[in-house]
Amino acid sequence: MGSVLAASSPSPPPPPSAAGSASPGVTMPPGFGMPPVPPAAPPTGSGAGKEQRAESLLPNPGAFDECHRKCKEVFPMQMEGVRLVVNKGLSNHFQVNHSLLLSTTGDSSYRFGATFVGSKQTGPAEFFPVMVGDMDNSGSLNSQIIHQISSRIRSKVAFQTQQQKFVNWQGDAEFRGEDFTAMVTFGNPDVLAGSGIIITHYLQSITPSLALGGELVYHRRPGEEGSVLSLVGRYTASDFIATLTLGSAGAHASYYHKANEQLQVGVEFEASSRMQDSSASFGYQLDVPKANLQFKGSVDSNWVVGATLEKKLLPLPLSLVLCAFLNHQKNKFQCGFGITIG
Amino acid sequence: MSESNVKKGSLSRATEWISSIYRFATDRNDFRRNLVVNLGLFATGVWVARNLSDFDLMSPQPVT
Repeated sequence: MGSVLAASSPSPPPPPSAAGSASPGVTMPPGFGMPPVPPAAPPTGSGAGKEQRAESLLPNPGAFDECHRKCKEVFPMQMEGVRLVVNKGLSNHFQVNHSLLLSTTGDSSYRFGATFVGSKQTGPAEFFPVMVGDMDNSGSLNSQIIHQISSRIRSKVAFQTQQQKFVNWQGDAEFRGEDFTAMVTFGNPDVLAGSGIIITHYLQSITPSLALGGELVYHRRPGEEGSVLSLVGRYTASDFIATLTLGSAGAHASYYHKANEQLQVGVEFEASSRMQDSSASFGYQLDVPKANLQFKGSVDSNWVVGATLEKKLLPLPLSLVLCAFLNHQKNKFQCGFGITIG
Repeated sequence: MSESNVKKGSLSRATEWISSIYRFATDRNDFRRNLVVNLGLFATGVWVARNLSDFDLMSPQPVT
């Protein structure tokens, strides 16, 4: 059960049916760690030797998609209606979940999900292959398969259908070198129609704290093709991470700050040249492990104020989530209530 | 006479400049204006995060 839960949330985001899987009381946010600072070089070392030692101590910068993730995880997730999620581990490799959503604004739905985790262990909490899928009451399917092909290459295949029609299908392969990460993604390839999307990511550690990279998106369909280039820079320090993404489509800046064991703060700025719109957001996360409680709050420049409260009702295997979002500008209010069992 | 005209001219230019800044600052539909405002909010948020977030929730309450 523990290995299924741990492996069901690898680097790609978890499926929507696995709501409430984040546990309050985690003192160190998962995946957050100070890049190792190279020790002082010995005085008798040669120049080339020093350079080689410095180069070999550069850490792998991680995945490109994770650059802004630390900051985004601080913000509360908007939820509406009543949600009941039941997770049941049938073995160390297999878990099923049932999600019931009762909504006032949209359609209510029921989703059935299953997660299978293989026995190939590549890390402390990483097992492969991982197969995650869920289907709702209308027959729409979301699924993804993640597998570690070799020690450095990881691949993922994902499908999404709306009832019987495939709407999204993509495959990607990620290569993790000593101090760089490269990934190529093929989205909705259609050889017969001559359409598809190719996305390439590259992220390079320049220093133990600084990583620079880029993203190139090429899309093609009959009569039209284009490409978008974005550059990203990330600076990691002992208690903060600052990330900036600049591209022809716009800019995205995020700042994550770990104030202490209980408080994490995130600030985001997004601007889109196509939509001619920009926004700034401020969010924080409070962890009170003694109360098994986690509180997230946010406010942004569009006058939207939101908060979520998650509490584990120990010793029962229950987790309660309360959510409220208020849009002062549009005079709209949304609240949500959720229970996760298991 | 010419000095007063020069002063009036500079005063009117300053007035126009202030008016244009006021129109720029209050036009919520202007993308550049919103960009500048949101950049300022982002910088303020970063300053708040770095300087005003070091309180300890688990510290013992002061005895009154």
